[in-house]
Amino acid sequence: MPTSSDSGGRETPALAVQNLVAGYGDFAVVDGVSLEVPVGKVVAVAGPNGAGKSTLLKAMLGIARVMSGKVLLDGQDVTSAPLEKLARLGVGYVPQLDDVFDSLKVLENLEMGGYLCNRVERQRRIERVLQVFPQLQAKLHRYAETLSGGERKMTAIARVLMLDPKILVLDEPTASLTPELSRVVLEEQVRPLSAMGTSVLLVEQKAVAALAIADWAYLLVRGRVEVSAPAAEVLSDPNMREIFLGRAAAEVAARSVDAE
Amino acid sequence: MTGIEFYVVVLLVYLGTDLLAAWGLNLEYGISGVANLAYIVVIAAGAYTYAILSLGPDSGNGGFQLYVVGWQLPFAVAVIAAAAVGALVGVIIGVTGLKRIRQDYQGMVMLVISLMAVTVVGADTGFLNGQAGLSLIPNPFSSLSPAVGDWAYVAMVALACVIGFFVMRRFTGGPMGRALRAMRDDEHAVAAMGFSVIRLRLMSQAVGGAFGGVSGALLAAFIGGWSPGAWAYVETLALLTAIIVGGMGNDMGVSLGTFVIAVLLLQAVQFLPQISSHTGLTEALGWIILGVLTITFLWVRPQGIFKERRPFYRSPGETERSAPGDSATGRVAAPRA
Repeated sequence: MPTSSDSGGRETPALAVQNLVAGYGDFAVVDGVSLEVPVGKVVAVAGPNGAGKSTLLKAMLGIARVMSGKVLLDGQDVTSAPLEKLARLGVGYVPQLDDVFDSLKVLENLEMGGYLCNRVERQRRIERVLQVFPQLQAKLHRYAETLSGGERKMTAIARVLMLDPKILVLDEPTASLTPELSRVVLEEQVRPLSAMGTSVLLVEQKAVAALAIADWAYLLVRGRVEVSAPAAEVLSDPNMREIFLGRAAAEVAARSVDAE
Repeated sequence: MTGIEFYVVVLLVYLGTDLLAAWGLNLEYGISGVANLAYIVVIAAGAYTYAILSLGPDSGNGGFQLYVVGWQLPFAVAVIAAAAVGALVGVIIGVTGLKRIRQDYQGMVMLVISLMAVTVVGADTGFLNGQAGLSLIPNPFSSLSPAVGDWAYVAMVALACVIGFFVMRRFTGGPMGRALRAMRDDEHAVAAMGFSVIRLRLMSQAVGGAFGGVSGALLAAFIGGWSPGAWAYVETLALLTAIIVGGMGNDMGVSLGTFVIAVLLLQAVQFLPQISSHTGLTEALGWIILGVLTITFLWVRPQGIFKERRPFYRSPGETERSAPGDSATGRVAAPRA
């Protein structure tokens, strides 16, 4: 990209969202959210059920309707761009479910991920992805449906890495995993990606596990960013924890009162 | 040529043209997930295209039928044009399905298109001769004796099926088949890999439309006539039943289903004795059985006789249960305590 706006010595973030308002019909679920994913960092977006995490993600990926605000990829305006265009521009999206092709072997899954490049480049990328996840080497000819939960997620991430993405967007990667395995996936599959220079946006409901591997945390409540701080700070600060866990609980309580 | 021999010829031509049509519809519905209930329209488009391109000007034969074009083109050219028009009409129908609505609503939109198309063509007598339809559509082997010509036609239809089969396999198997099936199961997942869902969908409907166009052209050239009565919306449902019974998304299954439903069943009912007090009942019985079969299979065995190789997508929870070799946590990496 020609726009390397190093004005003020600040690097252009891999992904930035500015005052995003998005939702369904006329109803704004995401109500003016701004966030940034710096290059090579892991940024976690956490929040209780119904906070707007999924809608935020869908709006960034051109699936949900953006009412106002901007999505910038490497400084380039990609608001409402369709998902396939984002994929070509370097957004690697790992859906929550349906993340691998069950009926294909692991190798075939990787080949599908490398659809955009030619045969030589595809082979080169497969080798590189296997350096990141050497455990997959032994599973290349297994059907994805026979993989365990953790191997499955690894295949899903590996498949998206075939796109050589600038930024990886993970939608609740631990959604169907046990707490123990969630930690393994986050620590051993997601965290190392940033060491390779890939930026990661992690949307998680399991906040504590996600914050443990994140550089920066955004806490989303009722469609708004309630807290934006270094993840370690949020985790260690008893007040922050209180705010997050307390607010989340308070939200739920408030809503059930509203409903009555 | 004996009566029974001619009957066999007719059945084989029906089988061949139905196979081409069923493969085309399976590509759209079974593989790509587009509920194209207007599929018969592309078949009709192919049949009419072949007819008006191969017939001479409509002033011939005393001008008893009125139609446009009338260029008297050679057989092969007219069939290729029929494929092209089928593809074009397929894309036009496909565009109506691009709006992000649920698949069943898309199916309804297409059903309405099918009904509208029959009505419009039937009402306009100067375009394709209205309700009366077109007749005297040229057969490429009409100069041969019937015994030779009919079998030559069967051979040609068989050749079309062989070519069609290999073309179809390019789209139902290999990387393209994977992409289409993936799109059927989760549009966002394929888009995330850089595939354009709109392009994939329209491509599938263009190829499916070309199959339908050739099927219609070969049928019209054999029968020698084509009218709105030949392409009522129920014809799509017959193909759909064949696909559902045989096994949606499975090439073998669809072919078998086509043979059983479109040929065996719909022919068998014609041998039932006519009931004089209820004329037309035996013919209607074919459709009744078709409907019952569709419902029965959708209830009892929705995957059809031959199911698709294996499910494409499954939720991770199910996968863990069905992975006997590994424990749920697997050997990805030993959890660090």
